[in-house]
Amino acid sequence: MNAKIDFSKISFLIVDGDKISAQVVYDTLAYLGASHIQRVKSPNDAFDVLRTEKIDIVICEWRLRGMDGLEFLDVMRNSTNSPNRFIPVIMLTAHSEMRYVTTARDLGITEFLAKPFNAKALYSRLVSVIARPRRFINTGTYFGPDRRRRQVQFDGPDRRSLDE
Amino acid sequence: MTHYDWGSGAIVKPEEPKKKKNVQIIPAQTDLKRKAVNFIKGFDINLSPEQLEELEQVVQRSSETFVRDIGKDLMECRKLVINALRDKPKRPEAIIAANDLAYSVKALGGTFQYPLMTQIAKSMEIFVADRTTANEKQLLVIQLHIDSLYVILAGRVTGFGSTVEQATVAALTKLTERYAEPRE
Repeated sequence: MNAKIDFSKISFLIVDGDKISAQVVYDTLAYLGASHIQRVKSPNDAFDVLRTEKIDIVICEWRLRGMDGLEFLDVMRNSTNSPNRFIPVIMLTAHSEMRYVTTARDLGITEFLAKPFNAKALYSRLVSVIARPRRFINTGTYFGPDRRRRQVQFDGPDRRSLDE
Repeated sequence: MTHYDWGSGAIVKPEEPKKKKNVQIIPAQTDLKRKAVNFIKGFDINLSPEQLEELEQVVQRSSETFVRDIGKDLMECRKLVINALRDKPKRPEAIIAANDLAYSVKALGGTFQYPLMTQIAKSMEIFVADRTTANEKQLLVIQLHIDSLYVILAGRVTGFGSTVEQATVAALTKLTERYAEPRE
């Protein structure tokens, strides 16, 4: 028997100033059965929603008016005023060059989806966020999902937990 | 303890104990998984090719909106660029509009089977990046990009086009390189 995802149990927040892009994501989520989908155009509106409603997943465009998606992510992960530091954030952006990916990763992005995207890519990011949650790492310089995706057997000492 | 090593004749200092790294590992939050993953209701984690095809059709529903809205944006941006050619103070506004348009088209063209538009928009985005204004020749380069995008959209040229379209992309890229400077 195959494992399934019941999207009706999950609430989404789309933060995207581009009407068509937001609509595509909305339509896809609605088709998957999600009934609680909010759409806003700016991070400030997103914070208002996050403070008043229970949101499970944020899908955010990088390029936004005012505060951009990266600053939004920074506040979500690192600010004491953050409504939820652990919330999964999928960054959806046409800034697909490697430097953008690593910048987003180092600020605690959960998943990165480069535009132009297709349905398969969006679905795989949703599955990853919902069915394969990652542990969080908190250091002096980073707070976010574990950036080590591949679990490779390592014979040396575990410097994270054993260093003295 | 610091001591004298008789063998080497050196004063040996003990190694400083390494400071413990302050790293906290927080177990994965499994609330979402617990409430949404099941074996009865919903979509398979691994979608079949047929299901993926259906999902892709949902994405393509917005294709007509894309053609209509981007067509309108292209015309508006073209007007701004033409006005900016005649009127210097209007140039910063035209550059902002061109930058926004380039990003939108680059982001969505490929999603709606117009990867050629994404290619041209990318060339235009690189050209207008970090500019606050442009000279006449640079505005004409932007206008050529807009015109090319419009022709592709009007002709519904999906995919990467033929050799003619690819030659156009190459020519536009050369133009952007040739007129890249000054960047102000």
